[in-house]
Amino acid sequence: MSQQECYQEFNEKDYEDVTPMSIETGLKDELCRIMYTDEYKQLMGWTRAMLSKNELTPRAIRLTSKLIDLAPAFYTIWNYRYNIFSHLLQDCPDKESWTAKELDWLDEITLNNPKNYQIWSYRQSLLTNLVPNPTMKRETPIMNMMIDDDSKNYHVWSYRKWVVKFTGDYSQELGFIDRLIQKDVYNNSAWSHRMFYLKNIEPDNVVINEEINYVKDKISSVPQNISSWNYLRGLYKLFKSNQYDSEIIEFITPFVNNLSIDQNNDQLPEIQSSYALELLAYIYSLTDQRELSTHYYKCLATKYDPIRSNYWNHKIELLSQ
Amino acid sequence: MSNGVSVKAKLLGRKREITERILPEEEALDAEEYIETVEDIMKEVETETTIDRQTTLDACNEWFVKDSQPLFKNSHLKYLQYAFKLQFPANLTALDASQPWMLYWIANSFKVLQPEELTEEFQRKIVQKLFTISPQGGPFGGGVGQLPHIAGSYASINALSLCNNIDNCWDKINRKAIYNWLLKLKQPDGGFKTCLEVGENDTRGIYCALSIASMLNIITPELCEGVLDYLINCQTYEGGFGGCPQEDEGHGGYTFCAVASLMILNKLDSVDVEALMRWCSSRQCNEEKGFNGRANKLVDGCYSFWVGSTAAMLEASGKGLCVSKNALHEYICQCCQTEQDGGLRDKPGKYADFYHTNYVLLGLAISESEYTLQTKQENTSAVLIESKSNTKLDYALSNLQEINPIYGVPIADLTKFVAHFNTHL
Repeated sequence: MSQQECYQEFNEKDYEDVTPMSIETGLKDELCRIMYTDEYKQLMGWTRAMLSKNELTPRAIRLTSKLIDLAPAFYTIWNYRYNIFSHLLQDCPDKESWTAKELDWLDEITLNNPKNYQIWSYRQSLLTNLVPNPTMKRETPIMNMMIDDDSKNYHVWSYRKWVVKFTGDYSQELGFIDRLIQKDVYNNSAWSHRMFYLKNIEPDNVVINEEINYVKDKISSVPQNISSWNYLRGLYKLFKSNQYDSEIIEFITPFVNNLSIDQNNDQLPEIQSSYALELLAYIYSLTDQRELSTHYYKCLATKYDPIRSNYWNHKIELLSQ
Repeated sequence: MSNGVSVKAKLLGRKREITERILPEEEALDAEEYIETVEDIMKEVETETTIDRQTTLDACNEWFVKDSQPLFKNSHLKYLQYAFKLQFPANLTALDASQPWMLYWIANSFKVLQPEELTEEFQRKIVQKLFTISPQGGPFGGGVGQLPHIAGSYASINALSLCNNIDNCWDKINRKAIYNWLLKLKQPDGGFKTCLEVGENDTRGIYCALSIASMLNIITPELCEGVLDYLINCQTYEGGFGGCPQEDEGHGGYTFCAVASLMILNKLDSVDVEALMRWCSSRQCNEEKGFNGRANKLVDGCYSFWVGSTAAMLEASGKGLCVSKNALHEYICQCCQTEQDGGLRDKPGKYADFYHTNYVLLGLAISESEYTLQTKQENTSAVLIESKSNTKLDYALSNLQEINPIYGVPIADLTKFVAHFNTHL
C-alpha cells in the first residue's frame, strides 16, 4: 500500500496539519536574499517542519518529489528522501519492485536535470544499499540517453565507471565506446572511458597490440586530435613501460612531414599534427637523442604550438641538465 | 561520419595557422581549389566537437580583433554593488542551497578588485547571515534549515576570512564542531563525502576539507589518513586529475582540487609532476588563448582560475611556468567582459554571473603575478605563497590584490585569518 502512496499526485491538502517553518533568516537588509515565491516558501516550510520531526511517511516522499522538481540541487531534500525511502522499504516484502519504481521516478528527474550532482549520488546510494540485485541492464538506458543528449556529461561518465565496477559487468562498454568514437573522434570522455575499460579488463599483449592498431587508425584518419594521441601515449606508459619501438616511430614520423634538424625557421614545413611532433620530441628525449628532441621542442615553441612555448622551453631546459 | 562534409567545415580542425596564410591574389581567386588541397592534408572531420569549437572561435574572434581592453573595474564594481544591494528574483531559487557561495564569490570579487569596497557594513551582514544559517558557528549548510555541507562550509570559511574579524566574528567559528564533523564525513577510501548520508565523494570533498582544516589550524594526521593515496589514484593517463580514483577523465576543476590538496599536504612530488605540467599546458590552445577544462572541450573563463591556479601552484613549487599568462590575460580582458554590462563571463555570448566574476578575476590576478612558496611559517597549517608583479606581462597591470592560488582569497586576508588561529585545536 505505502509504495503506491509514495508516487501519487501531490496534493496540498495532505499537509494542512503541518505548520510550515520559516526558511528565511529574518534579517533586515539581508545580503543575497532570494525573493522566494509563496509556493516555494510553503513547500520548503512544510519540509523543514516534517524533517525536524523526522517524519518518514509516503506524504513526506511526495513532498520531496515536488521540491526536487523545483530545486534539484537542494541536497538536504535528497538526504531526506533517502531516509524516508530506506525506512519505508524496510517492511516491504517486494523490495525489488519498489526500488525499480523509485529508479523509474529518478530516471524521469534525471532527464530534466542533466547538470545535477545529487541525482547521481542518490542513485549510487540506492544501488549500494537498497536495490536487491543491481544490474548494468537496468542502468544502461538512462545513462545512454544522457550521453546521447550530452556526449561529454562528466557526471554520467563518472557514474558509469562506478556502476560498471560495482556490478562487474564490462560486457557493454567496448561497443558503446566504439559507437561514440565513431560518431565523434574528438570525444575525450569516450577515450578516457576506453582507458578505464582497458585497465580493468587486465588485457594481455594481444589485446594491447590490437588497441594500438585501433588508435593508430583513428590518428591516421584525423591526425590533429589530442585525445587519440594522449590515448596512444597512455597505452605505452601503462602497458609498454614507455618503450617506443622503431615500428611506432615509423608510424609517427610521416605526420611531421620531413621536418629535419637542418631547416631554418622560415623553411619549416606544414605538418599534419603538432601532437605527433610532441610525441617524437618526447620519445627522443627518452632515448637520449637530445639534440633532435631539443630541436623539435624549439619548432613547437616557435611555429607549431607557440602558445605553449613556456612549457616547451621547460622541456628544453630539462634536456640541458 | 565524414559524408556530407562541406568544404568550409573541413577546415574546422585544431591547427588554424594553415588557413591564415595570406594568399597571392591569383591563388586567392582560386581559393576553393586551394582549400581542397589543404583539407586533403588536414584530414579533419566535422563532428559535434569541431562545430561547437568553431562557433566559440567565431564569437571570440570578434573580440580579439578589437583594440586591447583594460579591466573595466568600475563596471565590475557596479555589478557587485548591485549584487549586494538588491534582492534576488525568484528565478534564482536554484541557488537556494548555495547561499554561502554567493557571499564568498561577491565578497571575494570586491576584495580582489578594490578591498575597501567590501565595507564594514557588508562584512557585518555577511557574518550575520552565515551565523544565522549556522547559529552554532559551523559546520555550515547552504541556507537556513539545511544540512551542513562541505562545500557550503568551505565557502563560509572563505567568506568569513574576508571579514577582517569584525566584531570578533572569527571567535564564533566552532572549530571543534567542524573538526568532528569532517571526521564523520571521512570515507574508508580516504575521501570525504560532501554531506552525511547521501553525498558525493570526490576530490572536491578532499580539497574543501583540507582547505578548511588548514586555515582553521585543525588539521591532523587522522584527518589526512588515506588522502594521498586517493589523490595519487585520481591522476589519469592524460596527466590531469579526475574526480574519483577510477580513471575519471582529467578535468580542470577536479585537478585544481587535487593539486591544491597536495600543496596543503606538502606532497606534490608524490604525483607525476611532468605529466601534470603537460596536461595543464595543453588546456591552452593557440586560437582561444584562454583555458578549457578538458581535452577537446570549449574555453571557459572560470578555468582561468582552476587551471591557472594549478599552473601557479606548480610555478610556486619551483617546477617552472607551463602556461602563457599573456595569452590568458588577453582572453580575459577581450572575451570575458564588456564595459556596459559589468561582471565577468565564461565566453562571448554568455551572461556574467557571480561564479565567473570571482574566478575570472582570480585568473586575471594570477596572470599578472609571479609566485613562490613561502618558507613554512610557525603556528599555522595553512600553506602560504608569496606573490609579486609579473614582470613579463605585455599589458598594464590592473592593480588587483595579490591572491593565494591554493585558497582563492587575497594573501592579506588569508595571512590575517591564519594568524588568528595560531594555536592548533
